[in-house]
Amino acid sequence: MITRFLTDVTVRFNPFTAPAKTARTFLAHLPPNARSNMKINTALLPRTATGPTKLFLKFKDGKEMDLDLDKLKIKDVMVEVDRHARLLSRQEELSGS
Amino acid sequence: MVHVLSRGFPARPSIQREYFELTTIPAPSDSHISHPVSPVLRYPANQPPSHKPPQFRKSQLHRQYTSLLRSTPLLLIFQHNNLKSNEWMSIRRELSAALTTVDQAALATDPTTAALHANNIKLQIVQTGILAAALRVVEFFDPSSIPQTTENKVRTATDPAINTSRSLPDARPLPDSPAFTHALSRTAHRLARASGRTHGLEPLLSGPLALLTFPAVSPAHLAAALSILAPSPAFPAPRRKANPAYHEPAVQQGVQKLMLLGARVEGQAFDGEEVRWVGGIEGGIGGLRVRLVHMLQGVGGGVTNVLEGAGRSLYFAVEGRRGMLEEEEKKEKGGEEKVG
Repeated sequence: MITRFLTDVTVRFNPFTAPAKTARTFLAHLPPNARSNMKINTALLPRTATGPTKLFLKFKDGKEMDLDLDKLKIKDVMVEVDRHARLLSRQEELSGS
Repeated sequence: MVHVLSRGFPARPSIQREYFELTTIPAPSDSHISHPVSPVLRYPANQPPSHKPPQFRKSQLHRQYTSLLRSTPLLLIFQHNNLKSNEWMSIRRELSAALTTVDQAALATDPTTAALHANNIKLQIVQTGILAAALRVVEFFDPSSIPQTTENKVRTATDPAINTSRSLPDARPLPDSPAFTHALSRTAHRLARASGRTHGLEPLLSGPLALLTFPAVSPAHLAAALSILAPSPAFPAPRRKANPAYHEPAVQQGVQKLMLLGARVEGQAFDGEEVRWVGGIEGGIGGLRVRLVHMLQGVGGGVTNVLEGAGRSLYFAVEGRRGMLEEEEKKEKGGEEKVG
């Protein structure tokens, strides 16, 4: 997963639900120095909490992504993130920076 | 013939060596012929055949985790997101320092206290899949539930019943044999799987996990560990003035990447909030006992009131009735006197 272009990651999940696995795997995919390059907010809900598992992303170009993890698996999330990140990396290459 | 080795040395006299070979196998003795030989156990007594060979890392980890899960009453489950080794090192250093402070405080109040756990509280990374399998075996497999019939009994060489000449089917036992009921056996895994029960921690057992294990449920140590590893308003991290080492970048970056997912307390699944409740019990198990005694005293008072109430109302009813009867008697007497 290309994480270079992420500036903001917000995750809300109840770890005792199945979709939380996707959220946790996403966090585990971020590199060790991720916190120096982007803002990461993690909210762990109590076990009794109900409600959607949310992943909210912001990219360097300002694009925002609001992903509903109840429907998406980690591979789908990676596809979504990579699709936009590849676009950004191509733009970066063309502008020669 | 010129020997390279013999340069400068006198030639060695050649030695004629004689070798004897045992060409005949000794005949069996009389005792061997008259008494059958006991079969030999094909495996060490403390290492019965397991699902995978015991020398494999996976087998040893499984064994280690079952032992850990059976011996620890309080265990916190963290997810670690790509911590670097120096971050782990710094976090462990801060954790042990905080726990030692708790021990010293306990020693200061009571020099004979046994609640010194700082050296036995460990933060370790675990292999998630093996931990899940081990937890299933620990929770749902009870070796005593398997009936020990003659077929699935482990036959050892010291068992007098098998000192016979009949052939033993399990002379070279397979791991599939139901005779083996240790934690690494296939029987244990199969029965634990088939039990169909849940222990509540299943959703947590995925991804990179680290465990913090306590040898006893000690709220004071838990509170210290929570303030280091998962600071929250209830368990604030130490101030920079009090503990400057905690605010080093390595520790801070590492703590940010640790997530407290849940816990297993006395076999029960707890979430983060409930763990903080355990950590907030003041005075440890003694404090909890005091609280329970207070509660029971209140209940006792209520119970006596209720029980007394029934008796009291009966007493009043009977007294009232007696008063009525007496009054009636008086009236009747008065009437009779008037009549008489």
